Amino acid sequence: MTGGPTAGPAAFAAGQEEQEAARHLREQIAAQFGRSLHIRTLDTGSCAVCEQEIRLLSAPHYDLQRLGFFFTPAPRHADLLLVTGPMVRAFEMAARKTYEAIPGPKVVVATGACALGGVYQADPFVHGHVDAVLPVDVWIPGCPPSPLALLHGLSVAVGRLAEKVRGLTFITGEDGGGA
Amino acid sequence: MPLWFARGLRRGVVTTRYPAKPDGSAESLPTPPSFRPRLLTRDVVDRMIEACPGPALRRADDLLIFDVGACTGCGRCARVAPGSVTPSGEFELAATSRAALVKTIPILGDPR
Repeated sequence: MTGGPTAGPAAFAAGQEEQEAARHLREQIAAQFGRSLHIRTLDTGSCAVCEQEIRLLSAPHYDLQRLGFFFTPAPRHADLLLVTGPMVRAFEMAARKTYEAIPGPKVVVATGACALGGVYQADPFVHGHVDAVLPVDVWIPGCPPSPLALLHGLSVAVGRLAEKVRGLTFITGEDGGGA
Repeated sequence: MPLWFARGLRRGVVTTRYPAKPDGSAESLPTPPSFRPRLLTRDVVDRMIEACPGPALRRADDLLIFDVGACTGCGRCARVAPGSVTPSGEFELAATSRAALVKTIPILGDPR
């Protein structure tokens, strides 16, 4: 939100400038990532159920490739880093090196409740969430996120679908009008 | 040139758009809870927070702060307060800001 009741025309113009910049950025992302996108997965200490769901994406039922998404074994060929797990401290350097090896522009997607800080608290062994080490662009909740949730998240990451969660209240009944 | 390939080139998407129809298995997925504010009291909320295995729920006076990102959809809060908490049915929850996943739910069940 920019510009409250006390904000003058200058703040309004700044808001417009910001919106213009955001629109330009979205167009750039669509141009860069709109056609095909290569994904490198990174497991920072997950229980491997997120990996199972990610693997399901390339099954015929979900058929990830039809949307122009492909898995790549090397970060140097990747556009998007799909990170699972609570970021074990022993893995921190490997995670940083993987991130640095990806050519820009790049997108980091934190996947699953562990990566979002919902399972492990920060302690001497884990950071507890992926944001502590990598600059996350998109967060996909779920324990594990289903392949459909992952597909939606990837589409949000490349700007093909709008995020839904902003409009959800998680209130049932007369107070919120449904979740 | 196959038709699907030509269509993909034109649209900039390789073959087709994101699922054209809803997936049949989607209804059976575990999903984060949805709350009924009028049935929530501070007591009930505190018991739900105790039952929650993670940091997904916390309370600030008359507000329940629900972190959707931290929720594993285990359903323990729903077991503590069966009528006032139901599965939301929402699983496409990807967000471009972490703050968008934190929801505030008013607690309206306490007598005023």
